[in-house]
Amino acid sequence: MSGPPLDYTLACAGCHRADGAGTPGSIPPLAGSVARYLAVPGGREFLVRVPGVAQAPLDDAALAAVLNWMLARFDPGHVPAGFEPYDAAEVGRLRREPLTDVARLRRRLRRAFHRARFSP
Amino acid sequence: MRQSRSWIDRVVEGAARALAQRTSRRGALARLGAVLVGTAALPLLPVARAAAEDARPPVPDDATLEGAVGDPTSCAYWRHCAIDGFLCACCGGSQNACPPGTEMSPVTWIGTCRHPGDGRDYIISYNDCCGQSLCMRCRCTRTEGEKPVYFTSRNNDLLWCFGTKSRAVHCSVAIVLGVATRS
Repeated sequence: MSGPPLDYTLACAGCHRADGAGTPGSIPPLAGSVARYLAVPGGREFLVRVPGVAQAPLDDAALAAVLNWMLARFDPGHVPAGFEPYDAAEVGRLRREPLTDVARLRRRLRRAFHRARFSP
Repeated sequence: MRQSRSWIDRVVEGAARALAQRTSRRGALARLGAVLVGTAALPLLPVARAAAEDARPPVPDDATLEGAVGDPTSCAYWRHCAIDGFLCACCGGSQNACPPGTEMSPVTWIGTCRHPGDGRDYIISYNDCCGQSLCMRCRCTRTEGEKPVYFTSRNNDLLWCFGTKSRAVHCSVAIVLGVATRS
């Protein structure tokens, strides 16, 4: 194992699990939902600024590669058409903007993508 | 309902009643449970779900190692380079499997250990087995790659019984998830 799968295993899989299932209620699942954030305003930024991502022991380029790999591996169906992959510069900028209330922002973004899903 | 009980229930009940007449209830049940679970139920041991999620990677053969680095009941065992807790191999389980009656935490802490035989770095998952009080046998504290507690995902002083029915930690396993090859 090497590259993004190895970095994911060492830095993320302990909590999010190898298959991205997470532990609903305490550790957010990635499988089948992580890319939905890309469809709502602020969601793309959120995925980099959450503590587990922003503080991962990976440099900006490796972190960008893990993010792109995770989206394709765990939730390809929700990746919007024309999605621009993360790069080191964007990740480097975003991870230096800490979130002060992650849970509140997460609820707001999830309401937004649920609304988008059920609107005609 | 009574008729549908399995034979094992009937055997357990009969044996427990017989023993209870001779011994203290607590002692009788403990011994009976140990014997039954340790023999008849061996094929039912909980398997490593975390490891089963991907195809099993090649695991190096410990028989090629001499001394404590090849002994899963030793703190010096090669997979234990960052373990903190009681070794399941000393507690009725193994380096890969929880003892009967405990549940493997799906949330785990993951690091790498170098195999002294082939010199490769293997990805090791230290899953806690939860649901019984501390095992108290083979206590080990090794800290290769460990970070301070403010870096919670890389700290092994924490109890890692998350996502399990019980938060009580019993012992820890050290499962090989794969080979780490830095590109």
